[in-house]
Amino acid sequence: MSVIKKLFGIVWAAMGLGIIPLVVMRAMQEIGAKPTEENWIFWSIVIVVLMPIISFSLITFGVFALKGEYDSID
Amino acid sequence: MAHNVSAVSQNEEVTSTRRVIAASSVGTLIEWYDFYIFGSLAKIISEQFFPKDNPTAALLATLATFAAGFVVRPFGALFFGRLGDIIGRKYTFLVTLIIMGGSTFVIGLVPGYAQIGFVAPAIVFVLRLLQGLALGGEYGGAATYVAEHSPADKRGFWTSFIQTTATFGLFISLGVILIVRQSLGLEKFNDWGWRVPFLLSIFLVAISVYIRMKMSESPLFAKLKKEGKTSSNPLAESFQKKDNLKMVLIALLGATAGQGVVWYTGQFYALSFLQNACNIEFVQSNIIISVALIIGTPFFVIFGALSDKIGRKWIMMAGMLVAVVAYRPIYTVMYDMGSVKKKIEVKDKTVVEHKAELKGADSLKTTITKKTFEDGTTYKEVKKEKFPVDPVKKAELVAAKKLKPDVKKETTLPQDIFYKMIGLVLIQVIFVTMVYGPIAAFLVELFPTRIRYTSMSLPYHIGNGVFGGLVPLISTRLVEATRLTPDTPPTDPLAGLWYPIIIAAVCFVIGSLYITNRPTDVDVE
Repeated sequence: MSVIKKLFGIVWAAMGLGIIPLVVMRAMQEIGAKPTEENWIFWSIVIVVLMPIISFSLITFGVFALKGEYDSID
Repeated sequence: MAHNVSAVSQNEEVTSTRRVIAASSVGTLIEWYDFYIFGSLAKIISEQFFPKDNPTAALLATLATFAAGFVVRPFGALFFGRLGDIIGRKYTFLVTLIIMGGSTFVIGLVPGYAQIGFVAPAIVFVLRLLQGLALGGEYGGAATYVAEHSPADKRGFWTSFIQTTATFGLFISLGVILIVRQSLGLEKFNDWGWRVPFLLSIFLVAISVYIRMKMSESPLFAKLKKEGKTSSNPLAESFQKKDNLKMVLIALLGATAGQGVVWYTGQFYALSFLQNACNIEFVQSNIIISVALIIGTPFFVIFGALSDKIGRKWIMMAGMLVAVVAYRPIYTVMYDMGSVKKKIEVKDKTVVEHKAELKGADSLKTTITKKTFEDGTTYKEVKKEKFPVDPVKKAELVAAKKLKPDVKKETTLPQDIFYKMIGLVLIQVIFVTMVYGPIAAFLVELFPTRIRYTSMSLPYHIGNGVFGGLVPLISTRLVEATRLTPDTPPTDPLAGLWYPIIIAAVCFVIGSLYITNRPTDVDVE
């Protein structure tokens, strides 16, 4: 079980890292194509609020999992 | 004799625990009520406080304010959580109640945009932030307070009463809005009646403050304080120490994020879907949600109590898994039953009325279409087209594509479909009770008493507030993205479900792998 937990740790950390360029590129595309107030509000909330929380927590959690910090939990 | 003394003491204990639960639950219920009337009246608030030129921008602005209310909740969790771990649970969640009640009451008094311009939305925005801050401090306090009074083998059961308050708060907010709206009539309600639910809050809060003032401090915290073992810096202890931070992350990614999206999808998104995607009439759609909520609410307590027997983990995980698997099928059926697109019209019952009138330099043309369908569904569409009488000006506006008719659609379901719709929403509420019923006990058991208020409040409010609170905004956006042109309907009205499905799925995997099913003792430091 601890091997699976550690391996998944790589997945969580990779997800946390991967989300950043994906979201930023999508935001730039959409705002570039249609720079409306709606677009700005929406993407600001996603980039300033949601993305940092998801990325930071997934990366930190993934690193902890990879280091075996959760191995003792059964 | 000894037997009698023991029975009396047991009775006193039960009475005291009931009092603790009642005092905590009533206050938390009122806080949720205060918080949700804003969301439930989002459309009217948008018209009252934000520029009317662009209704979508106005609605988005309201949703953004709504989200701000959620986004600010984690900050409330940190601020009041810290206070709760330093000065005590009782006084902290008394303060949050007063802030919440005061802010809600003042929202009911703020003049509209038409009277005082941009000052109006600015004041509402600040008050909304205060509501978010107060709510951020409330839940953790109430859950901790009840859990620290509960016996270990009944913690899930006792804390589940706190879990019912969010749904009851939503139910009462919808109920009060419906009653006020029906008593005053739509015109008066839209004009000033929407303020009544906000103003009512002050009485509810006054009662709750009175009850809470009479309560004593949590026994575990009081003991800790007496021994001088309280934390001097709960924030640093909670989030800078690896042993605690890793539990905060598990709580967020393995439980509260999934719980948040399931909670909002089963209640708020369901209402928004009925009203916007299916165009179900306002009163009927609110009754559907309200009935489902009231039938579903006892399941919070059932799953809370069950978690004392079989553990918290698998009940929460099962709730997330069934939500992930069942959302699209459920919403497909809801759409097929609610939307008139696939229904067969009884042509000879269709009535079309035209009305034209002059309004100053403009001509207002109103077309009312009433349709009946074979299954008994009725549909009413009111289309209002306003254009200048001057043909040159009219031609200019047509060329600039600025003449857009205002179309209001209302579908009323027949009784059998109405009941089926309640059933479908109820299934979603059951999912909510599975993930939400045991979560207070689960969170309380993850963290030690000295930093419990701070540590459990943050993941709860990020999960529920940010991940869950953004469901309306992100889901609306996902549906809008499926429109081929701005004037065509969305090609996938269910696209909004992808956000809660993905979050709940990731949360399920993390929770299943990393969360323990063994309860821990809250007394252990």
